[in-house]
Amino acid sequence: MRTTDKNDKELLRRYHHGGDIEARERLIEQYLPLVRSLARRYSYRGEQLEDLVQVGCIGLIKAIDRFDVDRGVELTTYATPNIIGEIKRHFRDKGWSVRVPRGLQELNVRLSRLMEELTVQLERSPTIAELAKAAGVQEEDVLEALETGQAYATLSLSAPSGGEDGDDLDPLESLGQLEHEYEVSEDRAVLAPGMKVLDERERRILHLRFFDGLTQSQIAQQVGISQMHVSRLIRRALEKIRDEIVVEPEEATGNGVSPG
Amino acid sequence: MSEAVTLTVPHARSYYGVVRLVVGGLAARLDLSYDALDDVQVALDTLLATEAYAAGPEVTVEIALANGELVLTVGPLDPGALARELEDGADEGEGVGLARLLRTLTAGFELERRDGGDWVRMRKPVTSVAGSGG
Repeated sequence: MRTTDKNDKELLRRYHHGGDIEARERLIEQYLPLVRSLARRYSYRGEQLEDLVQVGCIGLIKAIDRFDVDRGVELTTYATPNIIGEIKRHFRDKGWSVRVPRGLQELNVRLSRLMEELTVQLERSPTIAELAKAAGVQEEDVLEALETGQAYATLSLSAPSGGEDGDDLDPLESLGQLEHEYEVSEDRAVLAPGMKVLDERERRILHLRFFDGLTQSQIAQQVGISQMHVSRLIRRALEKIRDEIVVEPEEATGNGVSPG
Repeated sequence: MSEAVTLTVPHARSYYGVVRLVVGGLAARLDLSYDALDDVQVALDTLLATEAYAAGPEVTVEIALANGELVLTVGPLDPGALARELEDGADEGEGVGLARLLRTLTAGFELERRDGGDWVRMRKPVTSVAGSGG
């Protein structure tokens, strides 16, 4: 994580009190690695990293422009949620409201609630037929809505439920400070090394599922989130791992792969 | 009762949703719980979407019901990458390797060599409606 130094404060003062545009540009340059690092967290969702960096830069510039020099807050602390908020807003605006019909979005949200209710009521995970009956729709509609949930996962990522403000700090982000830029290691096991790219909560959920053997419903109860959210987090974590893996060309019988 | 569906699609991300829908449709007919269905789909997604496992431009998923189990067979996949992932000891440590993933999400899996690649056969009991353990 970048350490705050007097230089930042001096540049901020020069910009805000003296209108020094060069100071602003230097701040933007200095904080580009932060933007890039945050953008990387979302780049596995089909968007080009450079596009996300551009979007994140808008958040950074807003943060620099709005920064109150007289408050005792560090720019990193103030800029991080702004950058993340801008990236998430980008996904939300560009994403599922365009690709997924509103009816399916709403059914997906309803199914998430019904799944929780039925899990308590039945003391097990419901079937598709049970979900369809409870929602008053056809089984095909349930399957389609669940599938659109995968699209939602690619966009909303980890919002627990219904948060409308894109500037809200994601609970996953709030867990830790900026991640280190891990070196990608090679290993004979393809998936295993990617664990390094996960944050604490994702690692915990994978541990509960794959080491402790808890079902999604049990994890949902233990962690206090919905089963669908657990499903999204597991998929997201595994996808992040997949995107991080590297196989040496000579080891992969001519099928070399680079991280996505 | 014997039911089987075979689906061959381009080995590309945009088709995985189609595969998931087909598996979901069959799972719904078998009254699989959501937990169990999601397990199967996560296992399937991992095999399909891990680029290192890809062996060609197309991939086939065979979905069958046999002996009270939903059986999914996926291939052809890269024999080198899969063998490394599934060999003894490859799954030790803190990481979620493929062997651990498949062991957790399914009731069992096997590798089969045919058509110039490896095929993974995974089983999930259809009685999972009463409890979705692997």
